[in-house]
Amino acid sequence: MTAEVAPQPHSSAHDESEGYLTHERGLKSWLFTLDHKRIGLMYLGSVLAAFLLGGIMALLVRTELLFPGETLMEADTYNQVFTLHGAIMVFLFIIPSVPAALGNFFLPIMLGTKDVAFPKLNLGSFYIYVLGTIFTLIAIIVGHVDTGWTFYTPYSARADSSVIWMTMGVFILGFSSILTGVNFIATVHKMRAPGLHWKRLPLFIWGIYATSIIQVLATPVLAITLFLLTMEKTLTVGIFDPALGGDPVLFQHFFWFYSHPAVYIMILPGMAVVNEVIATFSQRKIFGYMFVAMSSISLALLGFLVWGHHMFTAGMSEYATMVFSALTFLVAIPSGVKVFNWVATLYQGSISFASPMLYSLGFLALFTIGGLTGLFLGILSVDIHLHDTYFVVAHFHYVMVGGTVFGFISGLHYWWPKMTGKMYNETLAKIAFWFVFIGFNVTFFSQFIMGSQGMPRRYYDYLDQFQPLHMASSGGAYILGVGFLIMLFMFIKSLMSGEKAPPNPWASAGYEWLTTTPVHPHNFAEPPVMTRGPYDYHLCTEEELWDGFPEDFEKQAEKA
Amino acid sequence: MNETLPEGTLQLPPQWSTIAPEVDAMYYFIYWVSVVFTIAIFGAMVWFMWKYRRRPGVKSKQPGHATALEITWTFAPLILLVILFHEGFTGYVKGAVAPEDSLEVRVRGMQWNWEFEHRGGVIDDLNYLRVPVNTPVRLVMSSSDVLHSFFIPTMRVKRDVVPGMYSTLWFEATHRTPDITCESDEQCPEAMWCGKVPPGGTERKCSLPIFCTEYCGAPTGITASAFSEGGRNTNHSTMMGDLAVVTMEEYDAFIEEGPPPPPECESADDPAACWGENLHSNYCVACHSVDGVAQAPAPNWKGLYGNQRQFADGSSATADENYIRQSILQPQSQIVQGYSNVNMPPFRFSDRQLDAIIAYMRSLNE
Ligand code: HEC
Ligand SMILES: [Cu+2]
Ligand SMILES: [Cu+2]
Repeated sequence: MTAEVAPQPHSSAHDESEGYLTHERGLKSWLFTLDHKRIGLMYLGSVLAAFLLGGIMALLVRTELLFPGETLMEADTYNQVFTLHGAIMVFLFIIPSVPAALGNFFLPIMLGTKDVAFPKLNLGSFYIYVLGTIFTLIAIIVGHVDTGWTFYTPYSARADSSVIWMTMGVFILGFSSILTGVNFIATVHKMRAPGLHWKRLPLFIWGIYATSIIQVLATPVLAITLFLLTMEKTLTVGIFDPALGGDPVLFQHFFWFYSHPAVYIMILPGMAVVNEVIATFSQRKIFGYMFVAMSSISLALLGFLVWGHHMFTAGMSEYATMVFSALTFLVAIPSGVKVFNWVATLYQGSISFASPMLYSLGFLALFTIGGLTGLFLGILSVDIHLHDTYFVVAHFHYVMVGGTVFGFISGLHYWWPKMTGKMYNETLAKIAFWFVFIGFNVTFFSQFIMGSQGMPRRYYDYLDQFQPLHMASSGGAYILGVGFLIMLFMFIKSLMSGEKAPPNPWASAGYEWLTTTPVHPHNFAEPPVMTRGPYDYHLCTEEELWDGFPEDFEKQAEKA
Repeated sequence: MNETLPEGTLQLPPQWSTIAPEVDAMYYFIYWVSVVFTIAIFGAMVWFMWKYRRRPGVKSKQPGHATALEITWTFAPLILLVILFHEGFTGYVKGAVAPEDSLEVRVRGMQWNWEFEHRGGVIDDLNYLRVPVNTPVRLVMSSSDVLHSFFIPTMRVKRDVVPGMYSTLWFEATHRTPDITCESDEQCPEAMWCGKVPPGGTERKCSLPIFCTEYCGAPTGITASAFSEGGRNTNHSTMMGDLAVVTMEEYDAFIEEGPPPPPECESADDPAACWGENLHSNYCVACHSVDGVAQAPAPNWKGLYGNQRQFADGSSATADENYIRQSILQPQSQIVQGYSNVNMPPFRFSDRQLDAIIAYMRSLNE
């Protein structure tokens, strides 16, 4: 069907020659927009705000832990702060970051189509996200949520009632994820431009597609779990609380049945971005394209079978433990395949170290460490010692921050010119990168050692022997914080006074760079037909890989 | 006289248990595997980044098909993973199944304390666990409120403590903890902390820390560390205990006599009543008052001794020694009228402790 799309004349009143940012004006044109690009930007604004809030919480946590005993706040406040840090970062920032913000913006463009399959549903998902955020904020402002982002029962079942607000918030956010997932799956299946067959699909799309599958399959379980928790709290039905005849370990099964796949909801999009960036800045097709694409799908599926590895100390049967451990090791295979292929992509490339590439190379390094330390936790006898210590905290920050957040930021730098039509100051961007990269490693590497020495997580207070390492970790967090502030300044400066961006500043063969900058309201003035793959540098014309303005290319051509 | 204590490494605390060397061997095995992979991956990255940095006039080459390579690096790591899994699992099974002849200790977790009950119903001081050296010890654990997790880093053991079910773990300590009096952690050997005053002692001693690793909350208003003050713990991060490894003779002597009275009671006018008061403030004060005024949630102790008791089932009895003894050991055997909505948990005290409580109750009537 899509193959028959013909250029359609437009009768609408607004000016088509302008970009999507300016062709309609006024608040209403944003709030009621059905344009996936504007919805993407609204998501981007919200997730960045959430990131800022979660980041402030992180700094409060690290400051409190500078010294044993009270540094800033009392124990109960601390417990609320680390809960909010986790919940905000996971549910409001990381999960929607790449798929909802960057995915919304670029998925249709990279498919060469005008919009997602269901534009109204897309706007609906955004407002559901906003509603969920409001619930969560209410819980934060009026309430007292100190359960940790995992909401383990029976503690959460007995805690203050604002936990209900929080879980309702997360429940609603879940629906936003599900609907976005459905929308993306439909779009990928039905809306690809002529010539864009599955073997040409950009790896970013493969990653988002795999993520959407998990979102649609796993999120309902979280919703049910949180719903049951709410029922238990409001109607005192015994489900998870043993005092009411429930089973607390059941909650953990439910929770991780969602939350382990959610780890892949978080990491796959990060990997998806990295594919695009590494290809562009090496000017080379991703090595083993089909293996990389399939590794995303197998991660998505394997991710459903390993939730029990979060519960090795919780008292499952020895057999269940054995099976979960074995399956967990299998996850290492597709992750390894990705890393090997990315490294092999660099081979015989033409590598530029622009800021997006720095973040993607950073991703590669940090994800490797994050992944390998995951093996420690998969080994049963070793996990018994490391479980619920700072080793685990360090491991998942290497994967979630070193992986997903680095991927997200890499993508943000990479696509910034396309989204805003402005360039940014590359020197500042590189300075920010080094602060972030070094700060991150100082913060979390020290936590590996703390953890293997036995420092438990979620501790307000600790033994003197851990003090030097806590101090180092907090120092790293400040460096990290400074890095993000420089980045914020750099982006704001770009918005205010950045130079105008050419359509393809990175000389990429990717489909999203084929269109004008700022992007045409309908993505492409003419519906494109794909005649080559998104990484076929050897098939690109010089004009396609021209990184300046089209006018200049003509001048250059004339000269020659 | 000080036997040499085990030493830790940069990454792992000293090995105090029989399973620790195996766990650590696994840890270091995977550690070196990771180091090799990291060096290989980073090395290749850095080399390619240098060799193929963008230079004018040099174009990238497009990759061809390398199916053999892909299949190799997809399946070769499997061999390694199978080894890792197998070794890890056998180690785990050893840690999970306690030897037949293990000594058993009951552990009760509650916000935010650990209670240890030994053979013969001897309950030690709160948060104080003593075990004999070179003997497998099996802990049977339960929680009376939320989730906790029992963790001794030096023994490499950890297990969640779950309300509504029993969980177990076992370990065999390989060294006796040295008798070192202390005032701060720095004075203690590696991985030990300056614990509380041991039952019957007068000075603080170094011991091995026990942690709670499952988040269990905090009440409002807690600011300072409770570590150095001894006594009851106040929140998740201070839900710690002291592990003292003693000789078998010392352990047996302790079981014979039960925990000794607190030293400050030795010079009291009525040592038994003083001990009873101490037990009351440790275990019973949450429910029972002793001033003869407050009633809920449990009967007041003032005037209780020798009184006529009326029970929910209509029967009655006099509150003599035997009655009180039974009310403590098996509270559900007779429920005092008007108090059937709160359940008193059973307490297992030594005879000397029970006598002390009764002496204290009698003293309240004077
Ligand atoms: C959880 C609250 C709770 C705790 C803690 C508790 N009790 Fe009780 N206790 C009760 C209740 C309720 C009753 C009355 C119902 C019954 O007889 O079981 C009771 C009854 C008694 C009685 C019988 C009183 C009478 O009026 O005949 C004795 C003796 C007693 N408790 C001793 C103790 C001692 C000693 C401790 C501490 C080691 C203790 N209790 C701790 C709740 C508690
Ligand atoms: Cu997991
Ligand atoms: Cu606890």
